[in-house]
Amino acid sequence: MNVQPDLDFIKYLKTAGGDTMKKCYQCATCSVVCPLSTDDKPFPRKEMIWSQWGMKDKLVADADVFLCHQCGDCTAYCPRGAKPGDVLGAIRSYAYTFYGWPTGLAKLASSAKGLPMLIAIPAVVIFVFWLISGGMAIPSVEEFSKYGYQRFFGHWDFHWLSKNVAFIDIFMLAAFGLAVVSSYKGVTTMWKKMAENEGVNPDYKPSLVQMAQQFVWPSIIEIVLHSRFKECKTNIDRVTGHLPLMLAFVGLFIVTVWSAFANDVLGLWIPSLHGPMSVWNPVKILANVSAVAMIVGVGILWINRAKAEAEGGVTPTFFDWFLIWEIMAVGVSGLLAEVLRWAGLAAPGYIIYYIHLVTVMMLFMYLPYTKLAHLVYRTTAYTFEKYRESSFSKNPLDE
Amino acid sequence: MTDEQGTSGAILVVGGGISGLTAALEAAEVGNDVFLVEKNAYFGGRVAQLNQYFPKLCPPSCGLEINFKRIKDNRSIRTYTMTSVKAVSGGPGNYEVTLETAPRYVNSNCTACGDCAEACPDEIDNEFNFGMNKSKAAYLPHEMAFPRRYVINKDALSEDGAAAVKSSCKYNAVDLDMQVDTKTINVASIIWATGWTPYDPTKMDNLKYGQSPAIVTNMMIERMAAPGGPTDGAILRPGDNKEPESFAFVQCAGSRDENHLEFCSYICCMATFKQMTYIRERYPEAKIYVFYIDLRTPGKYEKFREKLMDDANSTFIKGKVAEIIPESDGSVTVVAENAVTGQKIKQTVDMAVLATGMQPSLAAEAASVSLDMDPSGFVVSNPESGVLSAGCACRAADVVTSNQSATAAALKAIQVSRR
Repeated sequence: MNVQPDLDFIKYLKTAGGDTMKKCYQCATCSVVCPLSTDDKPFPRKEMIWSQWGMKDKLVADADVFLCHQCGDCTAYCPRGAKPGDVLGAIRSYAYTFYGWPTGLAKLASSAKGLPMLIAIPAVVIFVFWLISGGMAIPSVEEFSKYGYQRFFGHWDFHWLSKNVAFIDIFMLAAFGLAVVSSYKGVTTMWKKMAENEGVNPDYKPSLVQMAQQFVWPSIIEIVLHSRFKECKTNIDRVTGHLPLMLAFVGLFIVTVWSAFANDVLGLWIPSLHGPMSVWNPVKILANVSAVAMIVGVGILWINRAKAEAEGGVTPTFFDWFLIWEIMAVGVSGLLAEVLRWAGLAAPGYIIYYIHLVTVMMLFMYLPYTKLAHLVYRTTAYTFEKYRESSFSKNPLDE
Repeated sequence: MTDEQGTSGAILVVGGGISGLTAALEAAEVGNDVFLVEKNAYFGGRVAQLNQYFPKLCPPSCGLEINFKRIKDNRSIRTYTMTSVKAVSGGPGNYEVTLETAPRYVNSNCTACGDCAEACPDEIDNEFNFGMNKSKAAYLPHEMAFPRRYVINKDALSEDGAAAVKSSCKYNAVDLDMQVDTKTINVASIIWATGWTPYDPTKMDNLKYGQSPAIVTNMMIERMAAPGGPTDGAILRPGDNKEPESFAFVQCAGSRDENHLEFCSYICCMATFKQMTYIRERYPEAKIYVFYIDLRTPGKYEKFREKLMDDANSTFIKGKVAEIIPESDGSVTVVAENAVTGQKIKQTVDMAVLATGMQPSLAAEAASVSLDMDPSGFVVSNPESGVLSAGCACRAADVVTSNQSATAAALKAIQVSRR
């Protein structure tokens, strides 16, 4: 085999938490102690040597990299301190940048150097929108208690779409749309590469329904139940944080969809659906419970990670911390904005609400490039794993 | 030149295994006075526990007997068994060392007739055989023990046992009132030849030592294969005494591992190849699986490795065993990833042999005096201070290398004594 090591790739891994990978001497302890590794395709031993050799193309096309949940069992038992769990995390972070589109934005989101820019983009965009919306005024106490943040971008009398929603939609949908397009491009490219890498027979394609029924849906069930994550031993504490956090995201997704529907569609006929919801509205309860779950969940992850780093088992990286900070910022700013509304403090409320919008936009816009990208890429890998083991991927003549 | 307390030019050798014996003899045979102290009740150390040396496969009596004879004939060496170093003060050329000798409860009248053991009703785990059988509480540590004198484990002795043992001895050699004896000696230099201890296999929780009798250590295999061992030379599965039809050797069990011993123990690969010959002598058809990271058989040992790798019933798998599952039928399943094929292997065998490494004894038990050690617990040799190390106290080594380092340490010790 003629190996052309990609030195830049190796250098990147070393800065992204894979600084220990060259210590690996291929004893394969990791593949055995890994609770998620399978008998036919054990990992992460092979990924370790591919990393050492700079075999980028093999790694970004390797579903196993994304099947790793960073349990840390491999790292705990590694006789060399090579931290395979961290190395696979570094490979994933590389892959998100690799598949990310547009490339410039993906690169920007991959290192701490880009952080000021990452914050500046939504901060400026939203501020500019606030300026041009003409709403740029701090409301009176009566207005604030009546409308809350619903007139942040001002008010017009156009019945079919409120001004606030119009403005929020412009930049939020744009950010979200970018994330969707980028994720789609990334996931399809990854799928193609993984299929090529596995030598999957392209003649037998499942239909969309078959795809959804046999591969995607079971994967989603597994993910929601955390079935594999719960196999972890060393870092099992992470499940305690990740599960409420994921459920919080699900809850907030439902709240967002309902609010949009209630405000923008039903609200056209039932004006009372506009304005802040009562605290006892079931949707509001879900929102508040989710917000608390989000802060608690990410807080647990924050503490776990800090502890793991202090104990020397885990290398601190921007990739890991950025998402934790981001989610914490979303949760805290959201809850704080709500509290300030109750308190009737308009000026600080508006500032916190502005910060909340910025953090939410960051979460959406950078989804495909940050650690949050695991949402799409890991789900794809789960799906691909089921697919590669199914009869679709095999040539019946080989059996 | 000699007085009771030794001379200023004397050399203290701590440890009476193969390295300590060699260092003591080399120094004494050029005219130095030597104190040779040994913690056990016998000399010969780990080598005495082996069935055979590699690569020539001769029994340990081969090297030990001649050394014991040289020691008996040499008036410059004073030997102390059951003795350890309690304190060291002073400096190079003039160390004052406190020695403490534990009571043996048997005096020099003993002729090793064995009547006391015969009469003794109390039994203890046979430490020399790693607890695989029992010995009497009045016992000869092993068949070839030198000095050839019985030992009594007084704590294990019942009241009746004490009376029986005492009355059985017709030479008046049993002295149950013996006390700890402390003495101070003056020496010019000290050679630490405290050797090694098999690494505690229970520390590798994934290898499940102790959870199935089918999981044994390489040193246990040595004792089983030895003619005077617990099974009189038969290699049988402890517990049910089954003749194993298949074996797995688990290399680097604790060695080359930051979580355990971070160094290579040097001898385990060769020990495994050697033990394959034991198995072949007894079970020509048995299947043998060797799981390894690298096979390290340097220099002339390569020939030995090549010969055994030709064995048709043996399989070599590059991949460390990271899990052992005890099975209900008494067998065990070892799990590894074959790093060459990328497949996981689950091999069920009748017996799994952990090739456990050498931990420097001073690291395993914590030295009673402060010494310059490396992070693994090997003693750093320092010719300037006259504190030297030899054999496996210095680094993991085979017998040949240990003897070379013992000779080197002896030479440095002599130089300090004549400075």
